[in-house]
Amino acid sequence: MRTKRFTPRAIFSLRKPKSPTPLCMVVLPGRVGLASSVAAATPVKFGLRLVRVCVCAVLWVATAASSLGQDTPDYFRQNCMSCHTIGGGRLTGPDLKDVTKRKDREWLTKFLLNPRGVIDSGDPYAKKLFEEARNVPMPTPPGITADRAAKLLDLIEAESKLETSQFKGAQVSTEPFTDQDRAKGRAIYLGTQRLGAGGTACISCHSMCDVPALGGGLLGPDLTNVYERLKGRAPLSAWLVAPGTETMQPIFKNHPLSSEEINSLVAYFESTTAQPPADSSGGQVTFLLSGLAGAVFGVFFLDSLWRRRFYSVRRTLVEANTGRGRS
Amino acid sequence: MNIRSQVSMVFHLDKCIGCHTCSIACKNVWTDRKGAEYMWWNNVETKPGTGYPTKWEDQDQYHGGWEKKGDRPINIRSTGKARVVPNIFHNPYMPSMDDYYEPWTYDYQNLFNAKEGADQPIAKPISMITGEDIKVEAGPNWDDDLGGSPIYAANDPNLEGLTEEQRLQLSSVERLVFFYLPRICNHCLNPCCVASCPSGALYKRGEDGIVLIDQKRCRAWRSCVAACPYKKTYFNWFTGKSEKCILCYPRLETGQAPACFHSCVGRIRYLGVLLYDADRIEEVANLPDDQLVEGQRSLILNPFDPEIIRKAQSAGIPDGVIESAQRSPVYKFVMEWKLALPPHIEYRTLPMLFYVPPMSPVMADVNGDLANHAMDGLFHSIDAARVPMQYLANLLGAGNEGAVRYALGKQLAVRWHRRAETVGDIDRATADRYLREANCTIEEADEIYRLTSLCTFEDRFVIPPMYREQAIEMIREPHEQKAETGFGFVGGPRRGL
Repeated sequence: MRTKRFTPRAIFSLRKPKSPTPLCMVVLPGRVGLASSVAAATPVKFGLRLVRVCVCAVLWVATAASSLGQDTPDYFRQNCMSCHTIGGGRLTGPDLKDVTKRKDREWLTKFLLNPRGVIDSGDPYAKKLFEEARNVPMPTPPGITADRAAKLLDLIEAESKLETSQFKGAQVSTEPFTDQDRAKGRAIYLGTQRLGAGGTACISCHSMCDVPALGGGLLGPDLTNVYERLKGRAPLSAWLVAPGTETMQPIFKNHPLSSEEINSLVAYFESTTAQPPADSSGGQVTFLLSGLAGAVFGVFFLDSLWRRRFYSVRRTLVEANTGRGRS
Repeated sequence: MNIRSQVSMVFHLDKCIGCHTCSIACKNVWTDRKGAEYMWWNNVETKPGTGYPTKWEDQDQYHGGWEKKGDRPINIRSTGKARVVPNIFHNPYMPSMDDYYEPWTYDYQNLFNAKEGADQPIAKPISMITGEDIKVEAGPNWDDDLGGSPIYAANDPNLEGLTEEQRLQLSSVERLVFFYLPRICNHCLNPCCVASCPSGALYKRGEDGIVLIDQKRCRAWRSCVAACPYKKTYFNWFTGKSEKCILCYPRLETGQAPACFHSCVGRIRYLGVLLYDADRIEEVANLPDDQLVEGQRSLILNPFDPEIIRKAQSAGIPDGVIESAQRSPVYKFVMEWKLALPPHIEYRTLPMLFYVPPMSPVMADVNGDLANHAMDGLFHSIDAARVPMQYLANLLGAGNEGAVRYALGKQLAVRWHRRAETVGDIDRATADRYLREANCTIEEADEIYRLTSLCTFEDRFVIPPMYREQAIEMIREPHEQKAETGFGFVGGPRRGL
């Protein structure tokens, strides 16, 4: 019930209070909302609320349970498959088939939780893996926990026993790249050709040797030698199917690249291999200078736009007529 | 026809002695407060001069008032639907405090507390805003009595259209001239300040036409400050609300004249009710410049016409107000005698404060050390006056001399007539000729003379019965209002919502 301020008017105009029978309010459907605080105390209403809470709880449990079964494979698909297969051979990272036999679970869990840390700690096996991957470190899997790591290892173990794992990886075509592929890949890289699923063009975050300064973003690494770094066609294609870094994953999770687009991009990346990467230091100076130039231009442009704006009237008048500036 | 009543005013400039008593009365009653130190709801300006705030009449700078472009209906010049958004954080045509002046006081305590020294102690000027020492560079009447000042008088926007010779005359010895222009809010019929307010805080009272700012609704947009071409709304920097002249409505409601009217030494101020047709305001505000003065007069209705009286009664105007309108000195000055003219009606706000243009001294020839005041006859021709006709026309006639010439001619005729009557050194025929030329009868001349020179308090201020008990009915139940009077709290305006 709304509080009423006791102004003199309110005091004198207080009407006969209405009968506050809660039952009556529940029976009249239109009144229930208005009188909820009063009605909550009644047994009938309390019963209704209890039922509602129970239904919510059951629904919540059901939803949560249904998601448990599908959770780990999805996670593997989104975060691991860009570099790893199970029984499909090496991509950027090693084939994970029977990985639990090669190394104990404790080490694997530690590595999963902080790959960079283990590599930097000087662990010889981790170092060997790092070199095999041509110094591409494994990114920390997004949202990894000890519990999730255990589930992942369970999954890998289970899949390893199968003849053909669902994570064997995509079959990459072996047809040679054509000039058309390369041109299309460059168009996709530059964003002149839009990605079918609406993903962001590579140039937003990455630079490239044959794109001039300010032409590429600085958030991601230079892509000039990416073909070589990720060990060729198959691993690079696999990476592009589901990019695994924390930055790229959320972008491409809902806007995946098509296999044709991947093929074109890989063709383009292959063509730029072995060239010196773009010089980003020059880009930064150009960026700074063009920013300054833009600011100066903006100041003069706005000043000319508002040249008739209002200045001080009195001071301008006095200074103009006395021929002296303000002391 | 939508008949309403308006408390309107006439200032007789020929009687103003520039004593600033009105300004001080207003200051003491209303604006002697923190945040309002710089405000002068009533101020007196020396003309030619730039006034307060400096050059307020220069709308090319201040962008006040309404603007008429071609055949399109009038628009507010300072703001508009499209201009509100880009200027939402800063209204570009806002006078700064420097354009008004930085108010100051003096360090009087120093006169008592100074250590003994070789020199007399002095009271240094101190800013009333910052409390720091200031170098006083401007004031609300900085160019007071400064006819011919090369900075202020020479830059009066009303000098537009004057010849180079006329301008030079205005600053040469024995030829320069000045008169006074007391100003308060004009309580316009088509107020630009009201139209510009985004919060709807300004309103014109239906029953008496007084324009007010609701201090609770004001949201400090300051659109009214920029929009008012007379710069008669002011922003209180302390309360964060705009303020303006309230025509002392609490005094009017209790039958007293406003403080500035009451205190006027020269008795230049007249106050009375006019009936007007609110339906035609828009049409008149859109007229071409040269028809505005006549257009505004056509809005004002004859309170003696039985048809008008009947319609006014059916429009809910009380008999007491109609009777007051019939005795209104303003109606006589504006409508019957056509002596009083609205200031700068080209701003199209249709001001309801009218000025009787001043007579000025005759021009003199300087011959060596002798100044020869050329004069044929006793009174000089109005065209030989020191204030150029064009100047007064710019101020009071939207640039057109006709109405000003008529008003000055009639005043001159009254002088001839009274001279013939009281002194008798002028023959009757000359006086009659002047009266005829001025379109004035002897009875009318006598009446003008009486209301100008012999007017009593009751003649000057015909304050209508305000019927607040009826006006309040529009807002709330009178018995409730009566029962609650004395309850509740009256809080001062506070910054914020």
